[in-house]
Amino acid sequence: MSLGTLATPAGSRVASQPSPGRAVTWLAVRQIRRGALIVVGLAAGMTALVVATYAQVMADPAAAGSLQALAGNPAIRTLFGAPIGLDTAGGFTVWRVGTVIAVLLGAWAILATTRITRGEEDAGRWDLLLSGRVPAPAVLLRHLIAVMAVVAATAAAITAVLLLSGTAPAGAVLHGTGTGLLGMFFAAVAALTAQVFPARSPATGTAVAVLGAGLLARMIGDGVTALGWLHWLSPFGLLSLTGPYVHNRVSPLLVLAAATALLTVLALAIARRRDVRDGLLPAAAGRRPRTLLLAGVTTFAVGRVLRPLTGWMLGIGAYYLLIGLTAVSVTDFLRDNPAMAGKASQAGFQGLGSIAGFAATLFAILAIPVGGFVTVRMTAFVAAESDRRLTLLASQPITRLRLIGAEIAVTAAAAAVLVTGAGLATWLGVTAIGGELAVTDALRGTWNVLPMVLLSLGAAAFAIGWAPRWTGLLGGLPTVGGFLLLVIAESIAAPDWLHDISPFAHLAPVPLTEASLTDSAVMLALAALLTGLGIGAYHRRDLLS
Amino acid sequence: MTDPALRAVDLTKRYGRLTALDTLNLDVVQGEVFGFLGPNGAGKSTTIRLLLGLARPTAGRAEVFGVDAADVARAHRHLAYVPADVALWPQLTGAEILHLQARTGPGTDVAYRDELVERFALDPSKPARTYSTGNRQKIALIAAFATRAPLLVLDEPTSGLDPLMEREFRTAVRQARDRGQTIFLSSHQLAEVEAVCGRVAILRAGRLVDVSTISELRGLHRAEVTISYTGTAPDLNVIPGVEAIEPAGEHRLRFTLAGDPGPVLQALAAAEVTGLSMREPSLEEIFLDYYGTETAR
Repeated sequence: MSLGTLATPAGSRVASQPSPGRAVTWLAVRQIRRGALIVVGLAAGMTALVVATYAQVMADPAAAGSLQALAGNPAIRTLFGAPIGLDTAGGFTVWRVGTVIAVLLGAWAILATTRITRGEEDAGRWDLLLSGRVPAPAVLLRHLIAVMAVVAATAAAITAVLLLSGTAPAGAVLHGTGTGLLGMFFAAVAALTAQVFPARSPATGTAVAVLGAGLLARMIGDGVTALGWLHWLSPFGLLSLTGPYVHNRVSPLLVLAAATALLTVLALAIARRRDVRDGLLPAAAGRRPRTLLLAGVTTFAVGRVLRPLTGWMLGIGAYYLLIGLTAVSVTDFLRDNPAMAGKASQAGFQGLGSIAGFAATLFAILAIPVGGFVTVRMTAFVAAESDRRLTLLASQPITRLRLIGAEIAVTAAAAAVLVTGAGLATWLGVTAIGGELAVTDALRGTWNVLPMVLLSLGAAAFAIGWAPRWTGLLGGLPTVGGFLLLVIAESIAAPDWLHDISPFAHLAPVPLTEASLTDSAVMLALAALLTGLGIGAYHRRDLLS
Repeated sequence: MTDPALRAVDLTKRYGRLTALDTLNLDVVQGEVFGFLGPNGAGKSTTIRLLLGLARPTAGRAEVFGVDAADVARAHRHLAYVPADVALWPQLTGAEILHLQARTGPGTDVAYRDELVERFALDPSKPARTYSTGNRQKIALIAAFATRAPLLVLDEPTSGLDPLMEREFRTAVRQARDRGQTIFLSSHQLAEVEAVCGRVAILRAGRLVDVSTISELRGLHRAEVTISYTGTAPDLNVIPGVEAIEPAGEHRLRFTLAGDPGPVLQALAAAEVTGLSMREPSLEEIFLDYYGTETAR
């Protein structure tokens, strides 16, 4: 008996399309194209803006020398990366936005990879896909390649911008390639964790933890000379070791490329061995019910936020602890060099001369991760609605107001926990190193960003009511968007009104000064208005599915 | 007079230019088991979403025991729902989801719930992400049947269940009916609807085609009649309601009959009929009668 293809009945045509793998690649591309455009645009745009402002910042000849002196300070090195090659537009750009873009690209690569691999598998959509002709490792590889292609495009865009701005070709190519390899490394990490863990959230969480650890390792390696070897263990460290426009070393990138290839091969090997919907680590077989936080809608919302809150708190807490630990060193350095303080403010860091001023500057940035947190939580709420997890609750005697109200209230409370934790971590760091920062001042400073965070929450709630698909974008607009707007507006010397749209323009530097009650009240009123409008629309609209 | 368990008044839902449901008027009486039939895309799930207040009507209104369906906090105190495609929180175990549903729901008989867990052979200690389609459906069914809500709205509740579990489902429906609960059952399993439902509504392309008891439906539709005769074949061509006359062997004739059987019996009385058998249509045949012609057109 032969096992050939069944004979085709006369008159019918069985179309067997060539290259089924290409269809899989297009499926992967379709799922990430929108985010891809934003990432490429942001990376290229930020690079172009900063490289264009170089001449403006350096107009004062003394500024170049002062910035160079900053490089000698361990705290500055810890926080912002080693500022080498500030005497060139390329080196200045690498220092000013290199790390930011690398973090952005790495985070996007992780989120995109776990979403389109483990996320799709979790949702059961890969059952159908993998019953086709393309085997699981090939499907994984094609999804990974799609993400890496976007990362490569970002790298090409950065390189092109730097080249067109007339910076040295070697440095431009090295920086672009390094950033791209870093993105690919994190895509590979995410592909691996997506094979190891049987669910999307631990896969994403672990990969993000690797990113955070890599960043911390680089910071410590920058700050503590004896631990400089840590650079070789961190993708961010390897990136800084290349020293674009100054050292132009290629060997760190070879290490990064080798690590990326190794992780990819490992991920593919696991994909070949494991069962679909399972991970290398088995899913928990069963357990006793934990009903403590299942008493109602609000406690259930609390139960769902606890784990993500812990992860965000660890990341944010570690960063602000480090800020606290380095605060004394930075401020002492700036006090000893009065000329430097002015130069630092010219470079974008105002009021760094005192611990209060230094802390105030860095507390303002806290609005970005905490704004990101509330946006991610609200996006998760929309996801629960659109994949019908919310349907059973929505068919209970529970109003929509209570459903979304509990979510908003719990998210706001979690944001308050985050800012409080950041304040305490800073105070702990400063106190441990023998500096002077009252715990109330630290908390006043971090609580000062809460109105802006609530503005993000309000924008997300508004989006949930009116345009649920845009929740992520609208929610991030006040904080992440506001910060980018401020940076751009300052860089291109835009008119004041453009500058003033950003909520950051209205954030008082607390604890250096008192909080501006008017600005906070305006932000809170706006937040309340947006939340009210969002809840109203949510109450009236159809559930997504 | 008591309010109907469910009432739809000119209930209409449009999505842009598509009319998913067109002026539906329907009453489901308290205590009955009501079947809701229709092919895919007829608007069954849309109707249920409107009745539950998960979607808002473009026009008309829906009521649950006299309460506007949009007032979910009050309306849902009277009902429990099993969706067609049950999605659960993947990190919670079956027992945790049942607990959450009981705590947020209209009141649950915990002893009966435990009995149902046994009867449906569900392992509630597993995280929901490991459950198959059938097991996810069991969770929702157990949570719904364990409530003492006077109305159960079930949307394709047995599509993932095996025959053994389907039998348990029918038992649970009968027990619920005996307790006086009203059941609104949307289903493709016509044998199931035939076995448990008193009345059915038939929906086609967003419009209500018919609402009646299953026996009335049978009466309205063609029965298959086979006669045996001696001598010449009776001429039935002119008799109203008779169609598809065909020989069924020597001295045997088969035809379909719709409507009043009087004229046929008169015609047959004139012939020498030696045997007569009549078979009522199954719900499946009635269903195909409604929709088969639609696709042929």
